[in-house]
Amino acid sequence: MLLAVLISNSVGNILVERFNGVPAEERLHWRSFLVKLGADNLKHAKNEELFVASHKSVYIVYTVLGDICLYVVGKDEYDELALAEAIFVITGSIKDICKKPPTERTFLDKYGKICLTLDEIVWKGILENTDKERIKRLVRLKPPTEF
Amino acid sequence: MADSSGTTLMDLITADPGRPPAASGSTANTTSSSASASAAASQFPSVPMTTTSSSGKTILGEKKSKRATLMQIQNETISAAKAALHPMKTNIMPQRQKKKPVSYSQLARSIHELAATSDQKSSQKQLVHHVFPKLAVYNSVDPSLAPSLLMLNQQCEDRTVLRYVYYYLARILSDNGAQGLSSGGGIPTPNWDALADIDAVGGVTRADVVPRIIAQLSAEASNADTEFHARRLQALKALTYAPASNSDILGRLYEIVFGLLDKVADTPQKRKKGVFGTKGGDKESIIRGNLQYGALSALRRLPLDPGNPVFLHRAVQGVSFADPVAVRHALEIISELAMKDPYAVAMALGKVVVPGGALQDVLHLHDVLARVALAKLCHTVSRARALDERPDIKSQFNSLLYQLLLDPSERVCFEAVLCILGKYDSTERTEERAAGWYRLTREMLKLPENDSKSSKDKSQKTRRPQPLIKLVMRRLESSFRSFSRPVLHAAARVVQEMGKSRAAAFSVGLTDIDEGVGINEFADDDFNENPTADGARKASSMSSSTGSKETIASLLASLMEVVRTTVACECVYVRAMVIKALIWMQLPYESFDELESIIASELSDPAWPATLLNDILLTLHARFKATPDMAVTLLEIARIFATKVPGKIDADVLQLLWKTCLIGAGPDGKHTALEAVTIVLDLPPPQPGSPSGFTPVDRVSASDPKSALALQKLVQAAVWFLGENANYAASEYAWESATPPGTALMMLDADKMVAAASSRNPTLAGALTRLQRCAFSGSWEVRIVAAQALTTMAIRSGEPYRLQIYEFLNALSQGGVQSQLSEMHLSNGEDQGASGTGLGVLISPMIKVLDEMYRAQDELIKDIRNHDNTNKEWTDEELKKLYETNEKLLDIVSLFCYVPRAKYLPLGPISAKLIDVYRTKHNITASTGLSDPAVIATGISDLVYESKPAPAESDGLDDDLVNAWAANLGDDGLMGNSAPAMSRVNEFLAGMGTDAPDVDDENIVSKPSVGYDDMWAKTLLESSELEEEDARSSGSSSPDSIGSVETSISSHFGGMNYPSLFSSKPTNYGPSQTSERSGGNRYGSSSSIYEGASSPIREEPPSYASSVMQRHDSFENPMAVPESSSFESHDEGRRSTSGNPQFGSALYDFTAGGDDELSLTSGEEVEIEYEVDGWFYVKKKRPGRDGKMAGLVPVLYVNPR
Repeated sequence: MLLAVLISNSVGNILVERFNGVPAEERLHWRSFLVKLGADNLKHAKNEELFVASHKSVYIVYTVLGDICLYVVGKDEYDELALAEAIFVITGSIKDICKKPPTERTFLDKYGKICLTLDEIVWKGILENTDKERIKRLVRLKPPTEF
Repeated sequence: MADSSGTTLMDLITADPGRPPAASGSTANTTSSSASASAAASQFPSVPMTTTSSSGKTILGEKKSKRATLMQIQNETISAAKAALHPMKTNIMPQRQKKKPVSYSQLARSIHELAATSDQKSSQKQLVHHVFPKLAVYNSVDPSLAPSLLMLNQQCEDRTVLRYVYYYLARILSDNGAQGLSSGGGIPTPNWDALADIDAVGGVTRADVVPRIIAQLSAEASNADTEFHARRLQALKALTYAPASNSDILGRLYEIVFGLLDKVADTPQKRKKGVFGTKGGDKESIIRGNLQYGALSALRRLPLDPGNPVFLHRAVQGVSFADPVAVRHALEIISELAMKDPYAVAMALGKVVVPGGALQDVLHLHDVLARVALAKLCHTVSRARALDERPDIKSQFNSLLYQLLLDPSERVCFEAVLCILGKYDSTERTEERAAGWYRLTREMLKLPENDSKSSKDKSQKTRRPQPLIKLVMRRLESSFRSFSRPVLHAAARVVQEMGKSRAAAFSVGLTDIDEGVGINEFADDDFNENPTADGARKASSMSSSTGSKETIASLLASLMEVVRTTVACECVYVRAMVIKALIWMQLPYESFDELESIIASELSDPAWPATLLNDILLTLHARFKATPDMAVTLLEIARIFATKVPGKIDADVLQLLWKTCLIGAGPDGKHTALEAVTIVLDLPPPQPGSPSGFTPVDRVSASDPKSALALQKLVQAAVWFLGENANYAASEYAWESATPPGTALMMLDADKMVAAASSRNPTLAGALTRLQRCAFSGSWEVRIVAAQALTTMAIRSGEPYRLQIYEFLNALSQGGVQSQLSEMHLSNGEDQGASGTGLGVLISPMIKVLDEMYRAQDELIKDIRNHDNTNKEWTDEELKKLYETNEKLLDIVSLFCYVPRAKYLPLGPISAKLIDVYRTKHNITASTGLSDPAVIATGISDLVYESKPAPAESDGLDDDLVNAWAANLGDDGLMGNSAPAMSRVNEFLAGMGTDAPDVDDENIVSKPSVGYDDMWAKTLLESSELEEEDARSSGSSSPDSIGSVETSISSHFGGMNYPSLFSSKPTNYGPSQTSERSGGNRYGSSSSIYEGASSPIREEPPSYASSVMQRHDSFENPMAVPESSSFESHDEGRRSTSGNPQFGSALYDFTAGGDDELSLTSGEEVEIEYEVDGWFYVKKKRPGRDGKMAGLVPVLYVNPR
């Protein structure tokens, strides 16, 4: 299960969060844990440099992209490598939408579209589409494979 | 779920794009924003505030305006509350902004109004660019928006608008009524439930709209128009968000999905190899592919019904679908179904698994997760017991699994490795793991022949069969050279799992040698680390392989070299995983200097978070459980933690580790285990900056006061541990001393006595020396605990130890010898107190007890002499006096520490006969704990310990002493305490844990206190987990004295409670249990090994048949216990494979349905012979009404014991 996708700005304000199968009372902990991880490690990180962490049997992969930080949390089949795959898709799509590594401004300008894209990437805690073109088509309500 | 940062988000989105982004805002913004909602609305020029426009929505609009007012009120309340709840946010920035953020109510209103004019371009633009994106910020969507969304859905043509509409409809469906529980985060939406209630006139509630949404979406999802099919997919997707608990909705969803599959799934088709979005192909087949994808994706989100063959049928069809994502979902569904019913799945997959079939194509599919699912599927099928009779099928899946080792993606390759190693789910089975190691080290990858005629002929040279281990090692080594942290982390994790399987192989293998079963297989396995033996063996088993000079040992060595270098990675999580891997790969007889120095140097890094370090400690625990021989090594490692980072590690976990290691170390290892624990005591007191002559490992890094304090606590715990458990470790008890205390020995002078003592029992003597040193040096807390520990030992040990301690305590209380002795140790600069050691007042009651005992002994000897000399019989009066003295002393002694009353003789062994005489005369049974005044005097403890003596305070106690303990340890709120360490260990061992992490600041977190009460409570918990009857049977009346002590508690003064070794049963850990268990598992393990051999290199296992025959002459033997019945607990599985008879009682009446079945009356006692496929074969004690004695009964009807 892909437990969470979380996007924050550089000072730790949460911009997007999608939890799946995480009890409400644990979300707050996760939020602050992730933001703290980011604050500790992402200061001088390069764009899309992947970071990894784990807590019990849960894996966390996070990275920085322009002004924003992305965190994905998963367990079971979503181990660090699968999460790396997922975060790669997400960063790729965000870059496509914002044309380049986003500033907070451009990210927020495209907020709606990013939400739709995320919706196509992660569907009920399961990674769905990984192909950028396909995601783009689906966001525009086109069929996944065109004729 | 109020998330203050969300406000910032809305502020930012609303803010003028030209302005520099206000990086953050404050919660107060919300208040201002909603308060001035009407003003802010002006930023939507095209949105009129008043309800005008078309007739169709006037009513709605009116309602809306009322609603808007309500919402506004609501908003204000909420935001005020929010501001109160989150008064501080570190990054408070100027709040001045030209544009006010949009409130939820405004957005809602805009949607209603724009929906009415959705045919106009401007409205669409407004929706797409302003309204919908901003609505996305809120964490839930008001059901009252649904009518407008549905209207948009029907009327609007714009694809982007429609896409948003589906998105929001899905969110409305996914909201389960509780606000803030939806997956979307963001600003909390105004409480619309409350609003709906207020709006009694006919507010739109969730209950109203959900059926409408479902109806509309279902209609769309069933629309067969080809132009519509993209929307059809989205509608289906949105529908899957509906709560699965509603069986109506679920039923309809199944109907839609299977209806769709009926239409599109049955046409056979050829997949275009692994390319996304291929152009070309006719329109019809592409649409069909899209619909197949949509249907399977939806099915994947729905609960599976394993009993329904349609699921499996469709999923198997899905493997050949054109859409790669659809294939992935199909494989995931199949692999889930395979867990329940591997046989059916294997049969259904019969055609696609053959070379050239669709499953082979998946190997080249450009979808990582699809291949991961394939690996899992292959693993499940190839390990299924249900398929034991079809080795052909199993080997097909097995070879597919092995081919995945060559996968270009690490994710897939590692998954395949883990599958081969037997790491599959959290149910860790030693024998499965052992078989995994066997497979990895023995088997070969043979690629199917017919593949070679494909275009890849040039890679012919890799087609040679290759040993798996070599492939895996090479792959891992190259992964460790990667720069990606996730890859490093994953590779280290794979190595860790390898270590686990290897440890399992060793533990199973060794016992099997002892048992003489399966020697051939396991003998090899044991020696495969031995380079010479290995080379010879390999040459024989790999007849066709060339140039394989490497042995497994050498491969492993070079891998471990790479692993060790990875410890240089800057990411602590990667390093932690590497250390765990190293711990697991460590073998008991290898030198662990390297590991030790790696850990020691790692721990000097302040970057380590406390949770991670404790995780590693738990790994030590798990490692110990896998290989009890490792006790000493692991304790050495644990010591490094104790000395290097005393402030960060959890003392509870450490204590637990000590305890389990000591018990598990076995009779030979106990001495070394105790030594290892007590080395903590030899640490010099932490002195910041002072040069130390110790090795770097031993240097205490407690430079800050907090960790110094933590270290002190650890030392205290260690001292206590030593006192409590030294007798156990040394197997020296006063009541079962092997040699009676020679009086001659007591005449010796002190030096000779010490020498004699240490020659007789070096373990105990060593512990004594340590404690004596502690009683002099160290802080006053340590000295107190040391004195206490010495008393415990004095009481429990026989001579000459008691005398030795007695003498020492006397010296200590007078403080006379102190100056001489303490020169040897570094003084901590503390004032030693008026009486020299400052312990005089504390020690005096302890000495008094010993005084009393010696005095009584002297008296007794005198009396005996008198009687002997005068040749007089003992009168009843005299005997009574003797007995009373005995009982009185027992009572006093029991106050200090636990002793088995029935055996303990405070008057010395000589008194045994006389007391026995008195007892038999007066018919006094050897006292059970219940008559113990100490027990009667206690409250809580006897509830917990039932029949065991417990701490009590009596008049005999020195008040000062009691006070001192009380002050030191606080009151004992024992019952209320939870047992964090224990549960953590169990959780860790079970591989559980999604709990949210704690985010304490590490600098602050440094464990404030050890909390002895907690420790004690933990022991309570632990012992309560043990089977009660066992605990009782090894009570004080048990003939086995060790057993009797073990169940006792540490009964000190009031609050003086630590976890005791004696409070847990050694049979729970350690060699006795291990051997028993592995003995019981022998058949199971060997069978799984053989099963592993059923793949390419199948050998004829010689002992297979015989072990079956020994048990039963049918094939229904323990090996046939179906793996698939996953609900069957591990215990049951074990029971059924063990040779011991099991008993149980019938829970219900059962009437036999056939000749081989047996009727039962509820409550009837039966003996369980074995289990097969959910049935027990049981025997009754006497024949039932039908005259039958034995037969099959359903497992659920019998309650096994």
